[in-house]
Amino acid sequence: MIGTIAKKEIVNNLLSYKFFIVILLASVLIFTSLFVMARDYKARLADYQINKPAAGEAIAVLPPNPLSILAKGLDESMARSIGIGVTGFDVQSGQKSGNVIYAFFPAPDFVYIVKLVMSLVALLFGFDQISREKEDGTLKLALSNSVSRSALLAGKWLGNFFSLAVPFTIVTCLGIALVGLDPAIRLSAGHLGRMAWLVALSLVYIALFLSLGFLVSALTQRSASSLVVLLLLWAGLVFVLPNLGTLAARQIVKVPSTKALSEKRQQIWTSEILKTYTKEGKWREGTWNDRILAINRESNRLEEDYRRQADRLVRLSKTINRISPAAGFVYAATDIAGTGIGEDSRLKEDIIRHKNRIVDDIIGNKRPFPAFTYRYRSLGRVLAEGSLIDIAWLLAAALIVFGVGAAALRRYDVR
Amino acid sequence: MLSTIIGKEIHNQILSFRFLVTALLLIIVIPATVLVLTNDYVRQLDDYSRRQVEVERYLERYAHFNRLGNIIEPSQPPVPLMTLVRGLSADTGLDSFDNDPLPVVFPLLDLTFIVVILFSLAGIVFSYDSVCGEREDGTLKLMLANGVPRAKILLGKIVGGTATLLIPFLIATLLSLFIILLNPRVAWKGADFGALALILLGTIVYLALFAVLGTLISARHRSSASSIMTSLFVWVVMVLVIPNLSPYAASFFRPAPSQIKVNREIFRLTQDERDILGNRLAKEKTAVVLKEYSVLAGVERMSEEDVKARILKDAAFAAAYELYGKADQAGWDEANARQSALAEVLQKDLERREKAQTKLAVGLSLASPLADFTYLATDLTNTGMRNQSHFVDLSRRWGETFGKYQDRRMEEMKKANPTADVWNIAADVHDMPRFRYTEEPLAARLKGVLAPLAVLLIMTLGLFVAAFVSFLRYDPR
Repeated sequence: MIGTIAKKEIVNNLLSYKFFIVILLASVLIFTSLFVMARDYKARLADYQINKPAAGEAIAVLPPNPLSILAKGLDESMARSIGIGVTGFDVQSGQKSGNVIYAFFPAPDFVYIVKLVMSLVALLFGFDQISREKEDGTLKLALSNSVSRSALLAGKWLGNFFSLAVPFTIVTCLGIALVGLDPAIRLSAGHLGRMAWLVALSLVYIALFLSLGFLVSALTQRSASSLVVLLLLWAGLVFVLPNLGTLAARQIVKVPSTKALSEKRQQIWTSEILKTYTKEGKWREGTWNDRILAINRESNRLEEDYRRQADRLVRLSKTINRISPAAGFVYAATDIAGTGIGEDSRLKEDIIRHKNRIVDDIIGNKRPFPAFTYRYRSLGRVLAEGSLIDIAWLLAAALIVFGVGAAALRRYDVR
Repeated sequence: MLSTIIGKEIHNQILSFRFLVTALLLIIVIPATVLVLTNDYVRQLDDYSRRQVEVERYLERYAHFNRLGNIIEPSQPPVPLMTLVRGLSADTGLDSFDNDPLPVVFPLLDLTFIVVILFSLAGIVFSYDSVCGEREDGTLKLMLANGVPRAKILLGKIVGGTATLLIPFLIATLLSLFIILLNPRVAWKGADFGALALILLGTIVYLALFAVLGTLISARHRSSASSIMTSLFVWVVMVLVIPNLSPYAASFFRPAPSQIKVNREIFRLTQDERDILGNRLAKEKTAVVLKEYSVLAGVERMSEEDVKARILKDAAFAAAYELYGKADQAGWDEANARQSALAEVLQKDLERREKAQTKLAVGLSLASPLADFTYLATDLTNTGMRNQSHFVDLSRRWGETFGKYQDRRMEEMKKANPTADVWNIAADVHDMPRFRYTEEPLAARLKGVLAPLAVLLIMTLGLFVAAFVSFLRYDPR
């Protein structure tokens, strides 16, 4: 019976104006996004080719991550070229600095499209499932047959999920295949595996919003009110909560601004260097190494303090933001892609360790400097270190919302 | 008649379920956001004054001119209107090692964000069924049968819808103002209230635009179910897609070379290539001197000490050697000048192209009301593009004053102690000019936001005309 209902839903959807608009929108957006972000990736790759350090140079720089085409996350920051010297880091950021408009609006990557547009689309598929059938009078008819309410809900849910998930998956896979055809973009099997995870994660996220649509539809008598509630709920969950959560966390954990930190670094090394001069401005022989060590020690201490506070802030804001499924989705997606906050902070720790090695080499007068290498966390570790919780939370939320929806339908007055 | 329709529309909307939900959301979210932003502003204020104190303490103990530049870089203090609007002030700090990842993952919530997203959505939700919904209910026929002109109905609906939404917004804004003004650390001036008034004006136009858009789409559809689909489609494209794609599209149509590439090329021109050219030119010019003064024979192979000794002994050699040194210097100066000119051409070209790209990106994004309102609100509150160039201007002017101060001070230090290396000894700089940030006057800001405001008005008007034409042709049966 569930199969029959699902089939009817799919046929209904295929013939509807809604389906046409929604699939058109999703396809155009996903293709445009992949094209635009692939171009952005290639430009950054070209920059990397120029920035790539020669053997023995003390520069830490990573090539841009191909998965940033789907989930840009912090890749812009992670792929910066960071020169290492005795006085600290010399950072060269990417090519974006010239055009300030980039800073106004977030990057329109695949994660952005799914987070905002696909969740909205899923709600549009779910919002009138119960209330509209009631308004049309078909809910009475359907339930006067020997079909249980849960079977009806399950059939409708499956039918709508498939009419949404199948075109979405096809369009995404086609887009990724087109990106993969570009010879400049080399995708390994590992990358493809992670992309599959991203698509699966997106489907879970879409399922959650579809269930939410069903739930609200089963709680309201009119589809118009169901839509209003859902749109405002959506805006709250996707825009307001995660963006306000970070600010709220900042009220609780006090972290110095990055400006304060970089000014402090400057002050440390200039004051230490001043100690190598006598009162008359003459260079003091033989004290240079002590100064380098002192600068390094001081800035590492500063860094450790800052990192400890910043880690607390990140953890707290993540916990607060997880109330919103959009935040859980973004955290899991960027972590799987290797462009998330966890990867970024691990990379920074590695660069600091590398800097300490180089400072030792400078003092020991050893050349050439070792090259900087970084291994992204394996997918297993990413999942174990938090993403699995995000995914499980999304899945659980989808199931709970669906369950509550089923319970609400049981009490629904079909007349 | 018009006022009756507006009154009926407001009455209808206020009693509706959607008004209740929207009003509740706005009245909770806006003051909550402002409360958090105000606390965050105070936190930034503290951070800023702590940093200033650190710098002053540092200057007292360690100031010396060689390294002063890194310490006293101008920095922007938080402005009081950051209790409402954040704009470009998010401290991502991509050019320092410890950049902040949080605002990159989730942009900060502020009043602009609430208006551009929640308000536009609410505008659509309030108007998507204004025409086709009345047709479905059968009330449109009745109204038109009473001899009410269609223009009046349309205008009444749009004004009524916009006014209804403004009520919760104004309540929320008043509550927010209380929160801001009750905080003793926030000192708003007259210009800040002026800016807020202008932002409110922009909000009204922005809201009216989406109400008109919803009505237009409603007047093009027979059923409200399909009207909402089209409305949301247009909303997604206008609000979530066009602004975000505009900088990428601009980089496609007006490509600019990457800064990293240009910097590398400039480095090559002014270092490696300059050395080759400098060596060649210096050789050519010194060769002329060498030919003329036989006393200089073999000077290229002499060590520094030998030359010094010979200068003391031989006056003719000394005179010729001075000319030789001048010729060498002239060669290097010419090489420097030529290569710097080449580098400047590259740098200028990069800046010109980046400017053109930014201009196109702004132009493209103006098609989105979200971008128009964002530019309007950020420029009015000194947190946008205008303020960035204003800050650069102030910094440059301060840099010139400081340069003059430094020259004068070093001159004095040299006089007091002729043998000292004045770059590397401690300097007393208590009287040096400090960087002071002053906000751009409101009148100048207002001039800057005329363009986005005009675009919003023109779009609203254009959409209204389209809605009117569609409504004239609408079949009310």
